[in-house]
Amino acid sequence: MRRILHVVIISSVIAFTVLAAYALCVGGLGYELPPIEPRTLAKIYLSTTFNPSLRILSAMAPEAVTAIVWDYRGLDTVFETTVLYLAIIASIAIMRGIEHHEPYDEKKGMSIIGKTATKIIVPFIVGVAGAIALHGHLTPGGGFQGGATAAVAPLLVLVIFSVYFLEGIGLTKNRALVLRSTGLLGVGITSFIVFMIALIKGFNAFILQNQPKPYSPIGLPYAFNGNIIGGTLLLFNISEMLAVAAGFTILFILLAIPEEKVKKVISSQGESHG
Amino acid sequence: MVNIVVYLFTIVIMSMFVNIALALYGILARPSLIKKIIALTILGDSANTLAIIVGYRFAEPYPSPPVLTKLPPSKSDIQNFVSVAVDPLPQALVLTAIVIGLAVTLFLVFLTIQVYRLYGTTDVRKIAKLRG
Repeated sequence: MRRILHVVIISSVIAFTVLAAYALCVGGLGYELPPIEPRTLAKIYLSTTFNPSLRILSAMAPEAVTAIVWDYRGLDTVFETTVLYLAIIASIAIMRGIEHHEPYDEKKGMSIIGKTATKIIVPFIVGVAGAIALHGHLTPGGGFQGGATAAVAPLLVLVIFSVYFLEGIGLTKNRALVLRSTGLLGVGITSFIVFMIALIKGFNAFILQNQPKPYSPIGLPYAFNGNIIGGTLLLFNISEMLAVAAGFTILFILLAIPEEKVKKVISSQGESHG
Repeated sequence: MVNIVVYLFTIVIMSMFVNIALALYGILARPSLIKKIIALTILGDSANTLAIIVGYRFAEPYPSPPVLTKLPPSKSDIQNFVSVAVDPLPQALVLTAIVIGLAVTLFLVFLTIQVYRLYGTTDVRKIAKLRG
């Protein structure tokens, strides 16, 4: 029985793969890969991403990817952020009720070489992450990439020193939770910021609006003091970087909790619930 | 005479689908939850790479990333940019998908650890037979 199931699984996987690959190779998308001309939708995005002569359609950010992520398809990204939020909340719920505070002791962690190298590297990682996130509207990068890069720094500290060192310098799970909530709050406020300004001034506006659009002549300035900031894109990138970096830090801290402490909590919960 | 670019593209796409097939087999047929998670990450990364390559284009002399470098642009700059830049939409979808995928993978890892702590195994056949 099991053998038959195995054969069915393998043959259906192979059939699906061959059919899908064949369809894609002979032009199942409507064109053969690689296309000479991109799709019309891509042309619209590319021609309006920074177009001062078409202000009413333009996102006014030279980086088309970030413009799509936070302007053209902002609602999509807000819901993706919700998925991230839910995954992290669910992980915290699984690991609830575990207290593991202990003073840091110099003998823990790796050798002095690893520790010194980490001390040198960590500020650079945070700096690069900040640069990726803050230049997201100008160069390839943005809040997601910057946040994922910044989360490497606490991960390195966790592995090279120990979770107690990270908590000793003040980055506990609850503080990371506060940082993450601040980032999510920033995303939420930035979604409504143009809407709120328009309400005060008495115009129409859309949620997640960045630049002036038809029927709503309100928008954030796309340049500040001669530097392009891309309206809401800069605010979104900063908030998202905070949310992603702090969210991953929480998960790494939870993964680093010693196993025996978790076992103790689980067994006591099992007794109390019968 | 086969066009060399189309030929190479076909090989790349086929190899990605082979990757997807291996990952699907791992998810469906391997009993260990950890192996399933590994296969799931391979599936996700293959699908992301496939999405990126669908957004690729052929341009002379070579395609450019979808970033406008000349600021402020004139009309001919924008026309030139549209004629060489690759499709930005798959990249925008993939960059969120990677980060969300990492978070969901970590969540699955937490679930698997919890299952291991409670039942002492990550074998789905044994977990399915447990009672209570």
